[in-house]
Amino acid sequence: MDSTRFNPGNAEQVLAVLQWAAGEGATLELVGGGAKRAWGRPVQAEYTLDLAGLSGINLYEPAELVMTLKPGTPMAEVQATLAAQRQRLAFDPPDLGPLLGVDAGGGTIGGAVLTNLAGPGRPRQGAARDHLLGFKGVSGRGEAFKSGGRVVKNVTGFDLSKLMAGSFGTLAALTELSLRVLPIPEKTRTVLLFGAPAADGARAMAAALGSPHDVDAAAFLPAGVAARSAVDYVSGAGESVTALRVEGPGPSVAARCAALRGLLASFGAVEELHTARSETLWRELRDVAPFTGGDGEFADRRQVWRLSTAPSAGPALGQELAEDFDGEWYADWGGGLVWLAIPPRDDAAHHPVRAALAEAGGGHATLMRADAPVRAAVPVFQPQAPALAALGQRVKAGFDPKGILNPGRMDT
Amino acid sequence: MTAERAPLGDDLIAELSGLLGDRLSLSAAVREQHGRDESYHHPQPPDAVAFVESTDEVVAVVKACAARRVPVIPFGTGTSLEGHVAAVRGGVCIDVTRMDKVLAVNAEDLDVVVQPGVTRKALNEHLRDTGLFFPVDPGANASLGGMVATRASGTNAVRYGTMADVVLSLEVVVADGRVIRTARRARKSAAGYDLTHLFVGSEGTLGVVTEITLKVFGIPEAILAAVVSFPDLDGAVNAVIETIQLGVPIARIELLDEVQMDACNRYSGLDYPVQPTLFLEFHGSEAGVKEQVATVEALCEGHGGGHFQWSTRPEDRTKLWQARHDAAYAAMGLQPGTKPMATDVCVPISRLAECILETKKDIVASGLIAPIVGHVGDGNFHLVLLVDPDDPDDIARAHALNDRMVMRALAMEGTCTGEHGVGLGKMDFLTAEHGEALGLMRAIKRALDPDDIMNPGKIVRV
Repeated sequence: MDSTRFNPGNAEQVLAVLQWAAGEGATLELVGGGAKRAWGRPVQAEYTLDLAGLSGINLYEPAELVMTLKPGTPMAEVQATLAAQRQRLAFDPPDLGPLLGVDAGGGTIGGAVLTNLAGPGRPRQGAARDHLLGFKGVSGRGEAFKSGGRVVKNVTGFDLSKLMAGSFGTLAALTELSLRVLPIPEKTRTVLLFGAPAADGARAMAAALGSPHDVDAAAFLPAGVAARSAVDYVSGAGESVTALRVEGPGPSVAARCAALRGLLASFGAVEELHTARSETLWRELRDVAPFTGGDGEFADRRQVWRLSTAPSAGPALGQELAEDFDGEWYADWGGGLVWLAIPPRDDAAHHPVRAALAEAGGGHATLMRADAPVRAAVPVFQPQAPALAALGQRVKAGFDPKGILNPGRMDT
Repeated sequence: MTAERAPLGDDLIAELSGLLGDRLSLSAAVREQHGRDESYHHPQPPDAVAFVESTDEVVAVVKACAARRVPVIPFGTGTSLEGHVAAVRGGVCIDVTRMDKVLAVNAEDLDVVVQPGVTRKALNEHLRDTGLFFPVDPGANASLGGMVATRASGTNAVRYGTMADVVLSLEVVVADGRVIRTARRARKSAAGYDLTHLFVGSEGTLGVVTEITLKVFGIPEAILAAVVSFPDLDGAVNAVIETIQLGVPIARIELLDEVQMDACNRYSGLDYPVQPTLFLEFHGSEAGVKEQVATVEALCEGHGGGHFQWSTRPEDRTKLWQARHDAAYAAMGLQPGTKPMATDVCVPISRLAECILETKKDIVASGLIAPIVGHVGDGNFHLVLLVDPDDPDDIARAHALNDRMVMRALAMEGTCTGEHGVGLGKMDFLTAEHGEALGLMRAIKRALDPDDIMNPGKIVRV
């Protein structure tokens, strides 16, 4: 048995560990499925707090559209339980396992929320943060607390749920979460636009997302990335593909797709994907499959950046950086999210990448995949302006004054 | 109240007057007006009102106050409902209504940048020719800065979300006078903690919002509104629940009980049946709306809903929704001479009918008149208790009724306010609702505002 590893089975045991650690000033790395350990700066902690034992769904009433569960619950179990009732997590969490060098399917719900995951539907559906109704946890002070509840609106003081989502386990250990869930739409279709240059792709996505046709996801794939898709219509295009997703009841999806095709006709040739092919394409884009191909010595080991910027600026930024660094890119979220893969460098090109981002109007650049020494040396997360960073540190001190939780993980 | 008040020092007045000239007001009438909102809470005027015109001026005022530990209270339109703007320890009110510029409209990115004094209606007026609109619509024509501070929502929340969902980034002057910008126009803040949302709903207790980047939406191709009456409340609520469960992307779904319908008929000169009634609105493409309507119509009929009255013409829709937005004023007309004590709770939707029915029994027992309106798609409903503010017995009965409703909502795993916020009126319920989390909120407040000068005495007592 590993004497530096705690494996609590319930919230009381988590509280006991954190009370002890807060008293001793002992540092802890929090892990669930361990699927996202390679995201963020490497943590240097004396002990590991393994929360995988806090697993299971406490309360799920499909009629309520709310699920209350423990943080270590495997994502696969969550999704299967919801799917059995024709429901889903509306934030559509990516499975980043293969991108981060571990097997697919290893993530937990706690990890998805603490890293604030979001799938391609983000422009309309938001991220994990927007669906976390409430939680229970234990702060770095060693105090159990709860925030929010099982209701969708709540204006009772500071919104701790929003702070917790995306905190990478540096504020508190979660012991229970309540998430909003939504029905699975009856039909999904994707309208494809072929051959648009990046600038036209950006305009087409903006036109579609601003249209009344309820487009819920929009992505742009340069020709090289499109060619590796498992979806025949996409890989066979031989040119760039702009993809627009429409969901809902059958007849309205058909009518909206037809309207979209009309809207896009001036940009180039269009095609339509039905449910199965649509799902495959958006899963690939969601899980960054274009940059996780190959096995063994042929595995894709390029460094991967995730750039978040104003949607109209994204495609031009991706194209520029891919040309400068002999890389590849594609854009999701209507252009607001750019995935960039470049050949490995000791500095991960972080200065020029962030300079180009600033030039494009600003945003956030996160180094999603790189070897640990690179992630220890290069700011993984976007450095913040000093005044903002100072506020963030004060928030951290409010929850975890001794800095015992995941030390260093979010440091820039 | 144990709050201590010291008069403003002459040196502070001189510094602020030097900065703002006659835009610093010490007049009793102006101060009085800035110490009150639209609630029943007694006005508590600030010692001075600073009519600022820029972020730089806000910085200067905050720094001058911070140096002397004088409270700072941000003020927009004064339409809050729980005494949020009351200057419980005096101090300087920062009136942002002159910061009323729309700074940028980025149609391609579906976002806008505004100053905090822009009101929600002024923003929509500005957007009128762009094909875009801003959906969050509390009853009042509130300032967007105030709506950020109170995390406001409205009738469109089911489809478009609340302020928590549409604020992308903020510029805030914090307690020591520093200016921070929480994010750029990027959709996702992956750097550090989500401070944007820490300020959204902080009721002015952490800083003064000086610039806001908001998500806006394309105006739908088709809009259809309807009014449908039900024989009983259960039927109306169950029709709503089924609509939400089916994932129908309905834009608005509002419940008015028979008491409120009576009030609206009288106030707005309408002749709807005096029954529990849903006000509905559908947004989307022609095809999408048609389908939503067919689904919801069937659900309503299944629960006894009838007398559908459809409005497609913009002027008819405006009339219909104006009647809904005027609900509070209409309610006041039921018992002239009274003031509305507006309160709200939010419960899991499966408990909504039960919570409303129990509350109606309490209303009858209290002898007060109190119509109910609700954003029922969110499990949120409002009670407008008509009270004579000078009658202690009225006030006591209203408080007792409110207490029972809040405790009932909490017992149902709900919350003590889904919309109006904490302000002065609901601070005491926070302990019941949050317990230990209140300690963390206090720690955050102390960390960001160590001298407790930002709208002190609200949300948490330090």
